[in-house]
Amino acid sequence: MELKLLIPLRNLLRNRRRTLLSLAIIALGTAMIYAVRGYVDESMLNIRAGTVRQFGNFQIASPLLWAEKTENFQYLIPPERVSQIAEILRTIPEVTAYTAQLNLSGLAITERKTKVVRATALEPQNRALDYNDLVERGSGLAPADRATVLIGRTLAEELQLQPGSFFTLTTTTVDGAYNVGPLQVAGIYTLNNAIVERQLIFMPLGYGQTLLDTPGVTKIIVKITNIDDTDRVAALVQRKLTEAGLDFEVRTWEQLAEFYRQIRGFFNVLFGFLTIAVSVLVFFIVLQVLTLSFLERTREVGTIRAIGTKRYQVFLMFFMESVFLGLLGSLIGIAGGWLAGQGFNALGIGWTPPGAIEPVPVQLRLELGNALWPFLISVMATAFSALYPALHSARLNVVEALASK
Amino acid sequence: MILQTKDLTKIYRVGKEEVPALRGVNFELDVGDFVVINGPSGSGKTTFLNLIACIDKPTSGEVFIEGQPTSQLSEGQLAELRKRKIGLVFQTFNLIPVLSAFENVEYPLLLLGLSRAERRRRVMALLEEVGLKDLANRRPDELSGGQRQRVAIARALVTDPKLVLADEPTANLDSETGKQVMAIMRRLNEEHHVAFLVVTHDPVVTQYAQRTVKIRDGQLFDGGRTNGA
Ligand SMILES: Nc1ncnc2c1ncn2[C@@H]1O[C@H](COP(=O)(O)OP(=O)(O)O)[C@@H](O)[C@H]1O
Ligand SMILES: [Mg+2]
Repeated sequence: MELKLLIPLRNLLRNRRRTLLSLAIIALGTAMIYAVRGYVDESMLNIRAGTVRQFGNFQIASPLLWAEKTENFQYLIPPERVSQIAEILRTIPEVTAYTAQLNLSGLAITERKTKVVRATALEPQNRALDYNDLVERGSGLAPADRATVLIGRTLAEELQLQPGSFFTLTTTTVDGAYNVGPLQVAGIYTLNNAIVERQLIFMPLGYGQTLLDTPGVTKIIVKITNIDDTDRVAALVQRKLTEAGLDFEVRTWEQLAEFYRQIRGFFNVLFGFLTIAVSVLVFFIVLQVLTLSFLERTREVGTIRAIGTKRYQVFLMFFMESVFLGLLGSLIGIAGGWLAGQGFNALGIGWTPPGAIEPVPVQLRLELGNALWPFLISVMATAFSALYPALHSARLNVVEALASK
Repeated sequence: MILQTKDLTKIYRVGKEEVPALRGVNFELDVGDFVVINGPSGSGKTTFLNLIACIDKPTSGEVFIEGQPTSQLSEGQLAELRKRKIGLVFQTFNLIPVLSAFENVEYPLLLLGLSRAERRRRVMALLEEVGLKDLANRRPDELSGGQRQRVAIARALVTDPKLVLADEPTANLDSETGKQVMAIMRRLNEEHHVAFLVVTHDPVVTQYAQRTVKIRDGQLFDGGRTNGA
């Protein structure tokens, strides 16, 4: 007990400057991984929430739509099927809201300019996907609205449209006929994404169906109580659909949002690299320090071996020293990282991600769960760096060790 | 008989050259003996002691501890033997610098896995015997050379070994302190009935011997029995 505890701890206090250097390196490495973990975690949570706001928790549509193979509108869901699906959704307590959505595209035309736009037609003020929240100027869409739209900030600038202005949307109906609709701008929304704000407009579902000359919808968007239940509830809905003989397929937000998966993959690679780089750095610096301090104790090793200490006991004494060093350094790193992270969060620094229009605040998620991994990594890197020097000391020749200065 | 060596030889190889450090040493030590081996520097004293202490292997010959041959023992068995039967005192004291006097003496008892109370009892008893009871909490660097060597002697005896081996225990002490240290060893030898083998080139040390043996060029010459001082 005391061999593995007392002597290693005392030896840590032996050369304080050296121990402090090791602790600083370990703590710094831990804090860095902790901070980046906190940044990645916060970003992913934000992106996830934003994605679910945009896609709902999951969507139901014809397999033809998901296969992206049909050019025409065969995938549209007819009204009687929509009510069958709705009936199923009403039996599931986790489902808080759903809405039908029709997608179309066309040309937005004013006197000066013409722009290609995509329109999302939704039941106004539905609780599954409420784009009225995003309106910055003007008003949202009301249930009684017909030929009114929400347009993005960028499109409004390009077409020089204000709330109350009119423009024309030309589309092709499901039968291939040419159709024109006069539209009034109800409000202008922002999403802090230039591409979406330039292309996407929102209109009432009924008017979208008029423009396409169809009673059908593209898909049904479902919102549930808790994001984490998405996969389970989606699977349940899928099973019920199949049981009811309905040939529709459920896709979760995560399956739909390719960019989410890409960002997550990118962050994972970034974080992996950082973890490796930091642990390699900690490993080599601590290796240097421990090698030096273990070598200085060569004669002590000879002495304790001569009076009957076994090799594994010598190894353990030295190895435990590095474990304590790692534990202490990592704890300091977590505590310091937490404090520094709180300070950083309070500064409210922002940056503008690619494709965004306004800076978004950079915040670190400092919850203790995010500290666990950096803690383990640093303790392990430190312990690994002690492995060879401790083994070397344990295997010293006793007579030679005793004879060394 | 506590210790016996038979035709012990040790040849060091330095490059292609062979350095014979011990040339067929036969030696015996009885329970309670106090023997001093005296010889000039380079005569093979440390080599001999290392072989007896079972931290080095002879080129040929055998070391018997309590009649048991040691050449076939494993590394672990040798460590066990050193721990239980042999106490060591070094020229340079070799205390563990991060441990107090008490803890240094306690160290071998930790290896033996004795209870805390038993360790305390034994350590304090020995520190008292070497006159360091009041300095138990001092670190080695807060002790004089003589005090350090007394701590080392207490450490060597705390496990109740059969045999204590001391390599030039007075070489780093002034002559007065050296005499005190030798007197303590001699007293403990009598009180604990433990055999002492001291190797030295210091003629003063021989005054304390029951028996003196001379060593030169790796060979022993019996110097006869004395009564010691
Ligand atoms: N590791 C070694 N390698 C080569 N020669 C050695 C080694 N250790 C001791 N010797 C030689 O063996 C002889 C005896 O040395 P040693 O036992 O240390 O003598 P002492 O302790 O009496 O001074 C000396 O000639 C010494 O140079
Ligand atoms: Mg010597």
